[in-house]
Amino acid sequence: MVKPAIATPAATNPFFPLPFLVISRRRETRDTVTLRLRPLSDVRLIAQPGQFMMLSVYGVGEVPISVSGLPRRPGELEHTIRAVGSVTRHLVALHPGDQIGVRGPFGTSWPLQLAHGQDVLLVAGGLGFAPLRSALLAILRERWRYRQVIVLYGARSPADLLYRRDLSRWLQRPDLVLRITVDHPDQYWRGQVGVVPNLIRQMAAFFEPANTVAMICGPEIMMRFTIRELQKHGIPDERIFLSLERNMQCAIGLCGHCQLGPFFLCKDGPVLPYSRLAPFSEIREF
Amino acid sequence: MSDRSVLELLATHPFTADLSEEQQAQLAACARIAHFEPDEYLLREGQPATAFYLIVSGLVSIEVFVPGHGPRPLQTVEGGSAVGWSWMLAPSRWEFDARALERTTAVVFDAERLRALFLEDCCLGLRLVQRLLFIITERLRAARLQLLDLYGPPRER
Repeated sequence: MVKPAIATPAATNPFFPLPFLVISRRRETRDTVTLRLRPLSDVRLIAQPGQFMMLSVYGVGEVPISVSGLPRRPGELEHTIRAVGSVTRHLVALHPGDQIGVRGPFGTSWPLQLAHGQDVLLVAGGLGFAPLRSALLAILRERWRYRQVIVLYGARSPADLLYRRDLSRWLQRPDLVLRITVDHPDQYWRGQVGVVPNLIRQMAAFFEPANTVAMICGPEIMMRFTIRELQKHGIPDERIFLSLERNMQCAIGLCGHCQLGPFFLCKDGPVLPYSRLAPFSEIREF
Repeated sequence: MSDRSVLELLATHPFTADLSEEQQAQLAACARIAHFEPDEYLLREGQPATAFYLIVSGLVSIEVFVPGHGPRPLQTVEGGSAVGWSWMLAPSRWEFDARALERTTAVVFDAERLRALFLEDCCLGLRLVQRLLFIITERLRAARLQLLDLYGPPRER
């Protein structure tokens, strides 16, 4: 199920960033890029889908970013980053050949083993698709292990859709149900319009609630309404997993910046079952 | 699809599937099956609201025409849901447009006959109005969420 960070030689000093080289940069949207990174040392940082790394731009700062892909070669990392502040703006501006610091991996991962033999429902909103993409790639790599695989993805507009090439490819797969919806369509959009929780009702015939594992990532309001919809359809709270974003700083449960109730989300999260989070869901910023 | 009767479609549509056979037959007497090609309008803003649509398959865009911008989709509705409730309330004119984005099949009810049926069989009327209220509530919730611009820029970091 949810596993702690894998111990690697680098994890022996979790405060020490290792040098990585940007080997490719793909522009996803106006303000978002996906970077592929290769280690410049012999140390391999093995991240599981759902875990995050602390990426540092030398002299600027450090931010937590989830892994968004699987390594093509051992030790490689893939991260999708949106420019929303000083550090992320610098990360988005990087190009192949640039160097950054990386420490991690940190936190818990998506419950892929629990989902073996089950229907899998991935619900992503906006940039929340990034952490779920790594889970989806892992699922598709061992597609035979899972029953129905359903992906519901909501974005602000067609121009804000991430991973367009992947989406086109996935839409063609007969063993994957992918539904995409946008809040604000442009004149060329011929797909669904509306918020992502609406899609769950449409998909009800595709999954068996008692044998479904749901994984959700997106803005917290979207996750709240998605949880309610999943509950209405009978998916138990312990089978609903969320990835929560917080102000992770030390990333090892020392500084307390990411605390939510009894949880340090950098260590106990970011992926947690809703059954554990439910008592804190009444907290305004849950 | 074309060879299925209204009654067969009502027996499987989520809106009517759990009604008794007698109630489904009462409703079928007020309805016909219609097919809409892509870009064909089911209903248009300002026109008399004379029908109620149960969408069987396809995709329908609920939209408003903005001068200078053209049609602006607000939400889409898939098979298994319903379109149009302006016929329930005076002055019974459509508030928005509804346009098929894909080839769409619907069971189309004659609003006048449906209103008469509701008055004649108040229990059936209440059940169906409750279902419509459920759909209206869902749409209102979705519209409110869309207003929040959920996927806008997060906090700076």
